Amino acid sequence: MALFSINAEAAMHWSPVPKEKSHGHGGHGGHDRHAGKPFLLHAGEGAEVQLMSPSKVVQPLTLEHGRVSVKAMGTGNYHALVAKRSVGDLHESAVRYIYMNGKPSGVSPSLLIGHEKSALEIEPAPLAREHWRYYSNTDAQFIVRFQGEPLAGAKVHMQTGNGSSAEFAANTEGLVTIPLPEDFTYEKPGRMANPPSEFVLTAEHHVGTERHITTFSYGYHINPEHWQSTELGLAVIGGGMFIGGFITLRKRRRREKK
Amino acid sequence: MPIWKNLSVIRKFVQLLAFLFLVYGSVFVGFYSADKLSGAFPVLSCAYDAKTADYCVLIPLQHQLGHGLGPAIAAGKFTLSLLLPILTTLGTFLLLFILLNKAFCGWLCPLGFFQEVLGMIGQKLRLNRTESLDDNLVDRIRPAKWLMLGLLVILLPLASGLGFVGHELGDPFCQICPSRILTSLFAGQLNQLYIDTSSTGYMILSIIADLLFGLILVLSLTMRQPFCRICPLLAMHALFKKVGLVKLVKNYTPRCDKCGLCAKACPMDIREIHTSKEKDILMPDCTLCGRCVEFCPDKGVMALKYAVIPIKVSDPAYFKERNKAQKRWEGKQKPSRRVKKD
Ligand code: SF4
Ligand code: SF4
Ligand code: SF4
Repeated sequence: MALFSINAEAAMHWSPVPKEKSHGHGGHGGHDRHAGKPFLLHAGEGAEVQLMSPSKVVQPLTLEHGRVSVKAMGTGNYHALVAKRSVGDLHESAVRYIYMNGKPSGVSPSLLIGHEKSALEIEPAPLAREHWRYYSNTDAQFIVRFQGEPLAGAKVHMQTGNGSSAEFAANTEGLVTIPLPEDFTYEKPGRMANPPSEFVLTAEHHVGTERHITTFSYGYHINPEHWQSTELGLAVIGGGMFIGGFITLRKRRRREKK
Repeated sequence: MPIWKNLSVIRKFVQLLAFLFLVYGSVFVGFYSADKLSGAFPVLSCAYDAKTADYCVLIPLQHQLGHGLGPAIAAGKFTLSLLLPILTTLGTFLLLFILLNKAFCGWLCPLGFFQEVLGMIGQKLRLNRTESLDDNLVDRIRPAKWLMLGLLVILLPLASGLGFVGHELGDPFCQICPSRILTSLFAGQLNQLYIDTSSTGYMILSIIADLLFGLILVLSLTMRQPFCRICPLLAMHALFKKVGLVKLVKNYTPRCDKCGLCAKACPMDIREIHTSKEKDILMPDCTLCGRCVEFCPDKGVMALKYAVIPIKVSDPAYFKERNKAQKRWEGKQKPSRRVKKD
């Protein structure tokens, strides 16, 4: 049972700085930008901020009005943006993964994702990669860890930019399945026409008088099933099979005539 | 013939293992291994498959051209460092490719294996398997793979990045790739099988993809390797075929002129292997499956080699046994209806 309720609005977390109006080719999840990517740390006054490369090299960053601009550290692939703050018995952290273009890193992102960046941590299992995105109306999985060990039964609070919130409990292996809510208002078809929103997961753990709070935040998109039809797809495959059958028969007839 | 001596059976076994690894591999080696292993695998093993262990070279290539190089040139910010990721992708491809040459096709590709399995089912169903296509048709189809590579993998993504064509064409080959539908279906995902109604461009591409997939499902039952004949990877392989360590060699003898069994056995209908007097007979369409070597009845005339080490050399005794095994497998071919009537 949750003895306390986590207020996700207040927990320290990362979000991308909202984009200015699109510039022609915009909108591809930031794949094509080579300049620094700006991020905002909410409720993060006084936090220490760092960027960790795929090979776990750490670069300290400075917050300017709660903002940082991050650039790949030599290699591409997933980097971790980590903010940490300890005041008395309260230890807070916020983690976000950022994909950077650049020279292949040669190491698996699992190294960085599995690496303990703060005592309490929500680890994506797995993190949506390459052609994967987090989509509404699909399940996302995470492992809650404390000091590297899975935290059985951990409570995880989800809050989305579209206003949904819910609470979930991890199983005995610390694994928690989060059904991302279908909370977009759908108007136009196409991924480009539907900007992503953000979800923030918050977990809290007490050890004696020590309190640990951590957040994981990421973007999620409206489920493309709104404009992609599986039924039509099956019908067209059927059409292709029909044409294939026709070609085969015709070929056979011709052969027999010879 | 004991099955462990049958090269085709050994190959099927390797293909099956590769299929399991390339479709479900992340279950064993972790989800992110693709980013570590290569992300430049020289066969159609797909990044859209949620469980894949490694993915095909065409996806980073299209992306790097469409989202990296193109936009940078368009913005007038071209630097040599932009070529680095593309060169790394190609370099990794080349490295893997040197190790196995085009045997990646005949031994590891999940889509190649799937087409072969369908072909075997077709044989068992007695679908009056058409052993080979007309020479004319083969000649007409051959350039298609170059068009697929040049247009769908290189030019259109670049043009999309430069802003000349729509965003839909940023990775047009992936959009129509049958392996995307196949491997994701095998991994239990239905999300790659769809018609996209969000724009005319996406709609056309998704219709082509599904039609192509349906076509392959049926054509593979009676025609050998229908998709391989237009696959851009075959073209990409062909560009580098001289550097690979696996070789297909022939010692021409005048008896070759009368025989032609190798060409008949070839799933890619490469008739040149029978008439050629060259030593190196690795043709652009070859998948290094080794069937021509198996079905060459003359001692030492054909060989599959790893660098200088012979892996399989043609041999009359093997040929006899192999031919018998093949006949047994195929069973009695059903005469076609028309023939029966006459
Ligand atoms: S869709 Fe086809 S071309 Fe694209 S990554 Fe998958 S296998 Fe490769
Ligand atoms: S040619 Fe055939 S076997 Fe080779 S990569 Fe293409 S589909 Fe696979
Ligand atoms: S030439 Fe030989 S090895 Fe190449 S595809 Fe044909 S039968 Fe296979």
